[in-house]
Amino acid sequence: GEPTRSPVLFLFPQLPMFDEAGHLDDSDEENEDLSDSEESVFSGLEDSGSDDDDDDEEEEEEEEEEEGCDDDDVETDSVKEGTNVNEMAKSMKKTSESKGVEKSGKSGTDSGLMLSSQVDEYEQDTSDEEDIRNTVGNIPMEWYKDYPHIGYDLDGKKIFKPIRTKDELDEFLDKMENPDYWRTVHNKMTGTDLRLSDEQVDLVHRLQQGKFGDVNFNEYEPAIDFFSSEVMIHPVTNRPEDKRSFIPSLIEKEKVGKLVHAIKMGWIKPRRPKETAPKYYDLWAQEDLNTVLGRHKMHIPAPKMRLPGHEESYNPPPEYLLTEEEKLAWEQQDPEDRRVSFLPQKYSCLRAVPAFSRFIHERFERCLDLYLCPRQRKMRVNVNPEDLIPKLPKPKDLQPFPTTQSLVYRGHTSLVRSISVSPSGQWLVSGSDDCTVRFWEVSTARCLKTVEVSGAVKSVAWSPNPAVCLVAISYGETIVLLNPGLGDKFICSATDQLISSYEEPEESKEQSVQWTIAEGSDHEHGQRLILKHPKAVRQVTWHGKGDYLACVMPDDNSSLQVVIHQVSKRRTQNPFRKSKGMVQCVSFHPIRPYFFVATQRYVRVYNLIKQELTKKLMANCKWISSMAVHPGGDNVICGSYDCRLAWFDLDLSTKPYKMLRHHKKALRGVAYHKHYPLFASGSDDGSVIVCHGMVYNDLLQNPLIVPVKVLKGHTITHDLGVLDVAFHPSQPWVFSSGADGTVRLFT
Amino acid sequence: MSQLQARFFTENKKYAIDDVPFSIPAASEVADLSNVINKLLEARIADHKHVEFDFLVRGQFLRSSLASHMDTENISTEEVVEIEYVQKFTAPQPEECIMHDDWISSVEADSEWILTGSYDKTARIWSLEGKAVMTMAGHTDVVKDVAWVKRDGLSSLLLTASLDQTVLLWEWNSEQNKVKARHCCRGHAGSVDTIVVDPSRTKLCFISLAELKCLKTVFSLSVPTEEEDEVEEPNRPRKKQKTEQLGLTRTPLMTLSGHNEAVSAVLWTDAEELCSASWDHTIRLWDVETGEQKSMLTGSKVFNCISYSPLCRRLASGSTDRHVRLWDPRSKDGSLVLLSLTSHTGWVTAVRWSPSNQHQLVSGSFDNIVKLWDIRSCKAPLYDLAAHEDRVLCADWTDSGLILSGGADNKLYTYRYSAYVSDAGA
Repeated sequence: GEPTRSPVLFLFPQLPMFDEAGHLDDSDEENEDLSDSEESVFSGLEDSGSDDDDDDEEEEEEEEEEEGCDDDDVETDSVKEGTNVNEMAKSMKKTSESKGVEKSGKSGTDSGLMLSSQVDEYEQDTSDEEDIRNTVGNIPMEWYKDYPHIGYDLDGKKIFKPIRTKDELDEFLDKMENPDYWRTVHNKMTGTDLRLSDEQVDLVHRLQQGKFGDVNFNEYEPAIDFFSSEVMIHPVTNRPEDKRSFIPSLIEKEKVGKLVHAIKMGWIKPRRPKETAPKYYDLWAQEDLNTVLGRHKMHIPAPKMRLPGHEESYNPPPEYLLTEEEKLAWEQQDPEDRRVSFLPQKYSCLRAVPAFSRFIHERFERCLDLYLCPRQRKMRVNVNPEDLIPKLPKPKDLQPFPTTQSLVYRGHTSLVRSISVSPSGQWLVSGSDDCTVRFWEVSTARCLKTVEVSGAVKSVAWSPNPAVCLVAISYGETIVLLNPGLGDKFICSATDQLISSYEEPEESKEQSVQWTIAEGSDHEHGQRLILKHPKAVRQVTWHGKGDYLACVMPDDNSSLQVVIHQVSKRRTQNPFRKSKGMVQCVSFHPIRPYFFVATQRYVRVYNLIKQELTKKLMANCKWISSMAVHPGGDNVICGSYDCRLAWFDLDLSTKPYKMLRHHKKALRGVAYHKHYPLFASGSDDGSVIVCHGMVYNDLLQNPLIVPVKVLKGHTITHDLGVLDVAFHPSQPWVFSSGADGTVRLFT
Repeated sequence: MSQLQARFFTENKKYAIDDVPFSIPAASEVADLSNVINKLLEARIADHKHVEFDFLVRGQFLRSSLASHMDTENISTEEVVEIEYVQKFTAPQPEECIMHDDWISSVEADSEWILTGSYDKTARIWSLEGKAVMTMAGHTDVVKDVAWVKRDGLSSLLLTASLDQTVLLWEWNSEQNKVKARHCCRGHAGSVDTIVVDPSRTKLCFISLAELKCLKTVFSLSVPTEEEDEVEEPNRPRKKQKTEQLGLTRTPLMTLSGHNEAVSAVLWTDAEELCSASWDHTIRLWDVETGEQKSMLTGSKVFNCISYSPLCRRLASGSTDRHVRLWDPRSKDGSLVLLSLTSHTGWVTAVRWSPSNQHQLVSGSFDNIVKLWDIRSCKAPLYDLAAHEDRVLCADWTDSGLILSGGADNKLYTYRYSAYVSDAGA
């Protein structure tokens, strides 16, 4: 039994499913009764007893082989390769036909053995089990058809073919007469015919029908679940426990000893405590719903491809086709700069259109576009340009301010250089290049008085003192103090008295300016005092009290540019020893003893009492033309010939607080209103711009400057527009004098 | 075309028709309606002559088609519309153009004579036909205002105010055509711009002198009494008094101060109440007995002129912002503007209520136009009298239906405006 034992062990030990093993076992031992197979099943479970069972089985097998039973072989075949059964049966028949019916028990058994070896050569992997009655091996038997023998037996003797007496006729007769012909099979190896027994025929039938070879085998037996999840009260086997299961195992002891030693030596580290943190976690558990929504919102869809247009057409309208020059230009352009990435082409019909050579290119570029170009949501800054403009109140809310031209004071025949309003606001004086000074009634534009002088009138100034009625007029090198005789008669006569009551001081100082009393016709015209200057007087301005009078004689290199006259004492002072540049205009501080001198670039503020320079304002513009001091005294505006108006806040800085560039041409005159927060500027472009200029008492609050109105009316004559502006002392009205010889009132 | 139900009525019995509703086309205009009324009248009265009518829907003159008017006025077209009709005002007929030597600063006319003050320092009396009757030269400066005081028989009393700070009272004998300066009133430290005489001309004559000067006591009032013996009243003595050769000098009875700026116009609303308008944007009402301010109306612009109508008891003011505004002087809420008449394009320098019609007034402006208004049609004036070539400085309206206006073009225009006035009513 040794040789057969090993293959079984080799075949089955690793099979996981015990059922299969059992079945294979069944197939091996076809003829065993059920009880036996059942035992084998149990034996397969029990390791300890398996050897013995195997041995038994092999022994039985061997016995069968020794018996040489044909049936057994056929059965084995049929079990292993059920599909070949028909062919096998035919071949058996052929053999029997060719060799005729020759009955010998020995040969029959031989042939059966041969069959099994031929068909199932590797059933057992030892060559010992081969059918070796004919030793020629597995060769086509046709090779022996010309020989009398059919092969050699184990002893090397020839196996002779059975004497074939049968011819076709015998065959036919045999077929007709032999009732067992249908069950006769020819064995090629031995050349004998074989008659199948009833059992074998039955087996063939059963196999043909696809049934089991064993009649008694019920393939649909109810399955017995040996290993259920339930714990049974009985053990699977009835075997008593081994002794060794009660005594400690030495091997185990040794093994444990080794482990203990290893632990002591530190070779084995205690098992690391299990990581308590869960290995997997909910990635989105902590996620804020808003961020999810935000991510959804932030989804940036891929840019859409441009839809094809006429240019892509195979037959584009001719205007889309490029001309030769355009083609040249297109070719010379960088691919990035090209407006279209292809040349529009015309084909007569769709059939003539070639394959699009750039297709892959285009797809590729599109893909690059889609995933290589980083897309970013551009937060569009929805800034209304209006919002960037500083919030200024609407001009409508800043009323009152002059809006329309109301009156035109006509009479002058040449440009009106200077105007001045009486402190009461009832009269207006204007000096013109036509060598006249005119006095107007403000409310009716009536010229009440005209005084002729002997030169173009450069500047007029009404004395701000309401208790006197004096107007200073400058023309040529002369300043005339004139009593217009308007308004209150008492005041007029009081003024005259004041002037005539002057007594010459004992020691008469030598003065650069000559004071003379007007006499004769001049006196009748209202002239009272005449001041002769060494140089041409350009501007004359009064101090707020009406006693001091400053005049400007612009001259670049002389120190005698500004003189201050005191009317009551008929004295003249030259406050400056040095020339600091061409003086353009001067002004008194309305409240404090300060004096503003505007040269071409700077405005210097002098303290008249301390006789020192207090401030120097940098106008930052080319040639200051005019200057006005805010009635509060802390703000100054300067108009310049380079179209700018600079607002200085004296408390803030020596640089302009605001630069207004509203005029198109040089500014000629600027003025503040006495009470209303208004200032105006007149320019050569013929317009007067009125601005709201609010000065707050709060030092922290900067002045609010809002341009409110552009007043037009003056016609531009000889490139000159508005030459002077003046505000009405009490009403929000502005007067402007122009080169067109008119004075206009805007209300 | 849609139809409207309308009922016509009038206050003039002469043209009354049956008080029944008529169905009239909604698109019909004034002329169509006028024809309808005329047809109806012809049916009633045999000898009816064609008369042009004007129509008022809820106190507003109809100036467009009936439908559009009712649309703009938000009047329901479902109900019967009450339409009042009045005889149409005929346009003022220009009568005379009286030339002066200089600007005409003021005009005042009565039924016989026209008194004008001029910038040539004289005041003149003209006949209604435009014949120069008398020239009063005495002022040393521009005559700013003139006023009739009294006219009994042949002798008349009149006042002239001038820039030379005096007001002269003249006695003029129309038969002998002699004039004599009776009194010289002083009291102002500035030009006298306006004088008004109180309604009870016989006994008391108030002269109000407005000066354009910003003093604390801006508004002063001098009150000479008109008595037969012309004895100077023992008024409050003034420090400064000059005897003038032109007559005896009077001094003010009372000075009303309160205005912050120049006072531009003054008038009597009744015997005890004085109203003044000023450049300080206010109209103030004064009690003359006590000399105290009674109430104040505040505007937003300088007032140039005011006029008061005793018929409708409204004040009309002309401002520098080209509006003519109507005020109710009795209203407690002083700033209430009842109505704004906007059509002028320059300063309104003269307004004058019609002495006989409570709805009408004239206004003169620096835009050279005199406008005739009916406050029932406030959107546009009734008539524009565009005769002047320069600024209009003064305007007047006499009881006899004469409109006068003088301006800076040295011309005084007179217009006859009598059509409606003669119709004895309204």
